[in-house]
Amino acid sequence: MSMLWPGLNDPVHDSQRLFRQLLQAMSEPGTLHLLDVAAPPEDGPIGAALWGAMLTLCDLDTRVWIARELDSPALREALAFHAGCRLTDDPASADFALVTPTALVEGIAFATGSDEYPDRSTTLLVALDRLADHGPWQLSGPGIPGWRRLDVGDDEALMECLARNRTRFPRGLDALLTCDTRLTAIPRSTRIEKRLTEDRPCMSQ
Amino acid sequence: MNGYNFAYLDEQTKRMIRRALLKAVAIPGYQVPFGGREMPMPYGWGTGGMQLTASILGGDDVLKVIDQGADDTTNAVSIRAFFQRVAGVETTTATAQADVIQTRHRIPEATLRHGQILVFQVPIPEPLRFIEPSEQETRLMHALEEYGVMHVKLYEDIARYGHIATTYAYPVKVDDRYVMDPSPIPKFDNPKLHMNEALMLFGAGREKRLYAIPPHTRVESLDFEDHPFEIQSWNECCALCGSETSFLDEVITDDAGSRMFVCSDTDHCLTRRGEVA
Amino acid sequence: MYVAVKGGEKAIANAHRSLADRRRGDRDLAELSVAQIQQQLRLAIDRVMSEASLFDPELAALALKQASGDTIEAVFLLRAYRTTLPRLAVSEPLDTSAMRVERRISATYKDIPGGQILGPTYDYTHRLLDFMQLAEGEVATPARAEQALEHCPQILELLDAEGLIEQETDDGLEPGDITRDPPDYPLDRATRLQMLARGDEGYLLSLAYSTQRGYGRNHPFAGEIRLGQVEVEIFVEELGECVCIGEIPVSECQMINQFGGSREAAPQFTRGYGLAFGHNERKTMAMALVDRALRAEELGEPIGSPAQQAEFVLAHADSVEASGFVSHLKLPHYVDFQSELELLRRLRRAHAEGQKAAPDEEDSQ
Repeated sequence: MSMLWPGLNDPVHDSQRLFRQLLQAMSEPGTLHLLDVAAPPEDGPIGAALWGAMLTLCDLDTRVWIARELDSPALREALAFHAGCRLTDDPASADFALVTPTALVEGIAFATGSDEYPDRSTTLLVALDRLADHGPWQLSGPGIPGWRRLDVGDDEALMECLARNRTRFPRGLDALLTCDTRLTAIPRSTRIEKRLTEDRPCMSQ
Repeated sequence: MNGYNFAYLDEQTKRMIRRALLKAVAIPGYQVPFGGREMPMPYGWGTGGMQLTASILGGDDVLKVIDQGADDTTNAVSIRAFFQRVAGVETTTATAQADVIQTRHRIPEATLRHGQILVFQVPIPEPLRFIEPSEQETRLMHALEEYGVMHVKLYEDIARYGHIATTYAYPVKVDDRYVMDPSPIPKFDNPKLHMNEALMLFGAGREKRLYAIPPHTRVESLDFEDHPFEIQSWNECCALCGSETSFLDEVITDDAGSRMFVCSDTDHCLTRRGEVA
Repeated sequence: MYVAVKGGEKAIANAHRSLADRRRGDRDLAELSVAQIQQQLRLAIDRVMSEASLFDPELAALALKQASGDTIEAVFLLRAYRTTLPRLAVSEPLDTSAMRVERRISATYKDIPGGQILGPTYDYTHRLLDFMQLAEGEVATPARAEQALEHCPQILELLDAEGLIEQETDDGLEPGDITRDPPDYPLDRATRLQMLARGDEGYLLSLAYSTQRGYGRNHPFAGEIRLGQVEVEIFVEELGECVCIGEIPVSECQMINQFGGSREAAPQFTRGYGLAFGHNERKTMAMALVDRALRAEELGEPIGSPAQQAEFVLAHADSVEASGFVSHLKLPHYVDFQSELELLRRLRRAHAEGQKAAPDEEDSQ
């Protein structure tokens, strides 16, 4: 039932507030943000942060691709009701893709844009089981003074997929990573390295 | 203002701009095309900056608007009044107290802090436009990272004048990839683009492009080893506050051509003179 | 003592009051009503609606009144209003063949099915000032035809039947929407026509004229110009059919141009197309000529003239964009000017020192 999936209480001001958090997340990769938004029904894998991001960004001008393990009639109905966005089966035509790391292992061909129009790419909205700072993944690049550390659980595939961004820049995939009410972003401009030990690498420029 | 949405733009337009802004910060310095709308002010008068401000502004934000560094120039007054009217936001002239600063042609003298957003009004977003007028061509040059023509242009200046003759809208390279027009700020302000704590957004309404520099991003002004980038300097200091480090406006004071120099950043000057509460 | 300019807000408010005063003019004379403007400045209304891309004669009249008759300012007012309107539906393509014709002429055939219908036109008026209009004289009612007009088939369809002119075929693609998407050059014809339709009439007229004088000449004939009412239909999902929501007046020009052809394809006439709201004949003719010029690449013609260069023509056609950017030069540029002053003084100092140091070198130049 779509009504079990909450919309924004105040669409104008809530979406502005949530967008500012998304903007800050994307411009300061690896920073964690808590999204204050009503969560979808409990048993589903989609948390409040992911749902809030979708309500903020999706509308009838956007096409959304949904990974099998996240898909459900209730989600489809809720998206149609609250956002009016179009769903697509073609990942290369998706503006947003709702995924778990599993979908990325499968090597699904999302749009990475072209060298002329790198912006014509799919933005990944990733549902994670774990998301914290101080993990083994070290991020650097624009928006990051020195480096930041991230813990995304046991998800080598996800980070390897995002690390590939640098090899084809400016083409690439930007990702919003979410878990429950927490959200962080890894845009394509971010350099990703795995640090196995908790050593203190020197500040890079 | 009855009949109009909060901050003037409808929600669908804001979402379109917001999606484009996320791309812009993800690809620093790349000009993202967006479906720019008509604003109730003329193109060329800040419609791009206004659309970005309208898309990010919230009811709790404190807004500052400057033109030429000053809060009291007519266009700044007009844009500030517009947002007071359509968004009911609090406004300020104090740089430190502002959450969002919309600017034309200057970056404030005061160091910006983390969390602040600086929105630039941009007339011609394409740094290569005056070398190559065709959009199809310049798009390809960016795609191929083919920026030789820009260096040739700057070098021709050196050959002719002994100096690089670009004094404002001086091109920069963002995170070692995209050559970007920083809008017509004086090159005096270019060093402030580098590793700034604030988020910088650029909006060109007529040309329908927006772009961004995230905080803590490397931004280099183009130059040559034998002709390094340098900024303007004055022999004078500000006649009002005595500053020797700020950008100065020249003011003609009588018909004999006498002149004085004063800070272009009015808030900076007033603060130094202790005239700000 | 220098005092920074303050009180901008008050100055702006005073400027607005002064403007309102000048707009009203002599209070002893009756104020113009919007209805009067709508009825009696019809061609100005049609131009404003076309370039604003909004069909609303009353608001166009209001815009003209508010703009003191400045067409470009009125277009801007209406355009800025348009952008705030919700989009409720998308109409079906207009069928101009089914137009309720008021005027319809062809320069290619002496007599045509349905006839040549002059309708309301300035074409054969002698441009002598009519001093009678200084006084208030009543205008006689026009003569009406005894019978209803015959059906007026499109002249170009007659040529089409013989294969003499290229066929216009629907490529089935969703047309672009210039009011929502930024231009992505090169643009397809549907998008180009949208930009020309809202392009400034004076600008298009001059470009069209340049093609006639040899800068991208394409040998035009005015195949047909028609003016009249067409029905606007929308498809209603619930009813499963199209419903007419009203009639609007439009002008249409179909230009017949120089033929193309190749070893494979037999030579055929080519087309240029113009369409505008209301009575806008000059605009649609200019539009058709420029449309044809912009098809140079598609038709394999050399591109050398201004009117053939799509980016140049289209990027500068919009009067709202153009007037905004030209007028922005009135805004303060103190900072950039100061930057230039600083450099120029430095260069002149260096130049003077150079001359002092090497006067001989100067002589030898």
